[in-house]
Amino acid sequence: MILAYLGSGALLAALIMAGFAALLSFWAGWVENLVMIQVGRRAFYAAAALVVCASVVLEAGLLTHDFSLAYVANHTDLATPMPLVAAAFYGGQEGSLLYWTLVLGLLGSASLVASASLGPRLAAYAAAVLASIATFFLVVLVLVASPFDLLFVTPPDGLGLNPVLRDGGMLIHPPVVLAGFASFAIPFSFAAAALLANRADAGWIAHTRRYALVAWSLQSAGLLLGMWWAYHVLGWGGYWGWDPVENVALMPWLATTAYLHSSQVQERRGRLRAWNFGLVILAFLLVVFGTFIVRSGVVPSVHTFAISAIGPWFFAFLGMCLVFALVLLGLRAGGLKSAGRPAAAVSREGAFVLQNMLLIGAVAVVLWGTVLPLVSGLFGQERVVGESYYDRAAGPLFVLILGLMAAGPLLPWRRAGRTSLRALRWPLVAAAVMAAFMMVAGVRSLPALLAIPLALAAAVTCVVEFGRAIAKGRLAPIISRRRRYGAYLAHIGLVVVVVGVAASHFWQQEKDVTLTPGQQVSIGGYQLTYAGMEQRQLADHSELVAAMRFGDRTLEPARATYAGLGGQSLTHVAISTTATADVYVIFAGANSDGSASFRILVNPMVSWIWAGGIVIILGVVLGNVGQRRAAPVPVLTPAPLAAPS
Amino acid sequence: MSAVLKWGAVMVVVAGCVGYLIYSASGGASEYYLTVSELRSHPVYDQDVRVAGVVQGDVLHPSTPAGFGPLTQFSEKDSTATIQVVYRGPLPDIFQPGLTVVAEGRLGADGVFRARQVLVKCPSRFSTTQYTS
Repeated sequence: MILAYLGSGALLAALIMAGFAALLSFWAGWVENLVMIQVGRRAFYAAAALVVCASVVLEAGLLTHDFSLAYVANHTDLATPMPLVAAAFYGGQEGSLLYWTLVLGLLGSASLVASASLGPRLAAYAAAVLASIATFFLVVLVLVASPFDLLFVTPPDGLGLNPVLRDGGMLIHPPVVLAGFASFAIPFSFAAAALLANRADAGWIAHTRRYALVAWSLQSAGLLLGMWWAYHVLGWGGYWGWDPVENVALMPWLATTAYLHSSQVQERRGRLRAWNFGLVILAFLLVVFGTFIVRSGVVPSVHTFAISAIGPWFFAFLGMCLVFALVLLGLRAGGLKSAGRPAAAVSREGAFVLQNMLLIGAVAVVLWGTVLPLVSGLFGQERVVGESYYDRAAGPLFVLILGLMAAGPLLPWRRAGRTSLRALRWPLVAAAVMAAFMMVAGVRSLPALLAIPLALAAAVTCVVEFGRAIAKGRLAPIISRRRRYGAYLAHIGLVVVVVGVAASHFWQQEKDVTLTPGQQVSIGGYQLTYAGMEQRQLADHSELVAAMRFGDRTLEPARATYAGLGGQSLTHVAISTTATADVYVIFAGANSDGSASFRILVNPMVSWIWAGGIVIILGVVLGNVGQRRAAPVPVLTPAPLAAPS
Repeated sequence: MSAVLKWGAVMVVVAGCVGYLIYSASGGASEYYLTVSELRSHPVYDQDVRVAGVVQGDVLHPSTPAGFGPLTQFSEKDSTATIQVVYRGPLPDIFQPGLTVVAEGRLGADGVFRARQVLVKCPSRFSTTQYTS
């Protein structure tokens, strides 16, 4: 009971502080009152500290099983293991919004600490925009979706966590994704502040680069962890379903990928100013839009949050952000004329611009697929698109982007001459050899014949660049220009992911079988023998386990039944992973005649996706540790709360 | 030609291509998303549709001929209409009477819906009931 009052009090105080910080910072920035700018910034730190208090209170309520709190009773029970009880903090609607606000407060504070170097006005406006976003979230937390609502009667036990969520992945996937979403607010705030302060130079880009990278890395990790979870835990055989929930996480990632490339053109060549503002704003709007889609249930999705009253609030917030961004861009467009001379089409700049257009094209494809049910519902019968739409519409764009990944890094800035074009011969030769090899091996699918050779070419390009640097001076040039070589490492990681995705997409095999004990099945050159099944009783559930002999191993796909939870069952898939293919066995059920039914898949090279993901993150981290002005970049954990400056 | 014009032209070309890709891909690949009563009142036989409804209590697993996946028969209902659904394959874990499911497949001339895939709306919490303050 006392926790509820403490928590609600902290949230209300945080709301007042954040609102105060927003109003004061706008005004102080306007009149350039240095003292008040400082006060506004500190008010934001105070709001962040109060959000930390509220989070500690909620976590305390969860860990002490305080079932007088509706949130605790609805998301945990006495039988839930402690790590998952702690994870329930972000497992439900209200708690996830609090977690989001927490990340916004911590990263926002960290970004404001050194912001004074950007000039008082820009720093004040950045604090004002950050505080406004925090105010919105706090209004929702206080008025609509409070995690501190009390129950009239305290139940003896809670309802517990959905068995699907009772997994180690729950401890890492949701917090990473939500932190990624929250961190897009920081580049947005500084971009909006630069526009408000009428500053078109690249100062805001340099200052927020590490936060854009943090957002991008968190989002990359979040997407990959989500894919890993879907593949290993949800157990339907794949890792990506083009569900709206996945799409809304992919779109800001695509937009930020574009920004990380185009921002270099502004830093190096003073061009693309308006475009960069647009991309950062777009990424943030996509995050808000995605949150609205996911939390309001306006489009059919297989995993929506429990439909709640926050939909209209996010819709209103999306509208306000959109109008704010458009008015701001419209007012300042005149002052964003590019400095410096335009570049030739065949140049590094040209490659970046084309890559940007293709990425934004991909965003448009995914956006259209996501909102089609909504749009078509307005004009007639609701329609939805499936996987083939994305294959056909986004596939060609991704193939072209792979081509640019192969060519772009070898092109010089400004204009590519004969010599630099000659550097393209190695990736070209590699792609041609690969394509020929695949043709000989009997591959006739055009998408596969394009995607895999181009991916190889992109990897060869990076290897050539590493080779050149090592030929020049061993590791010294790589270390001193690690931002560049870190990016190449990330490119190599992405290529590995692409190869894994392409192979499992083009050459997946699937078979539904019903087997009696001792019967054998063959799929994709693999032999499996069904040995029998047994019932196992565990602490809170029972499991029907099938034994499938595979070489000298025994795979044990199972179906678990949670008697305490209305008899809900849960499939545990069994996966045998090698570098070349996963053998993936789903136990569909036992039949009355003693036979058992399975769905068996052979998914080629899926492990490459996870390995490539690690290389990407490694590339970003290694490329940015100890960079000028940058403390080691906190890539997977939120930055610590900064002390008031 | 000025740089703005040149890149503007490239942008128009790329936007045109993306627009064409979206148009051509969504034409062939989109399916109707219907409720049970919509499918009943305007039956669509010649193409795949998705139909959403609540699983009724008549879920049956007829004995399965060897070589096929398990067969499930159930009916799906919304406020006014009911439809019989037949599906062969592993069902989603949380499939049970009372849950809203989306069946993707084709309506047969006999009025039975043959599903290729059955999706269950994944709830963020397990129980359909929850405590309210």
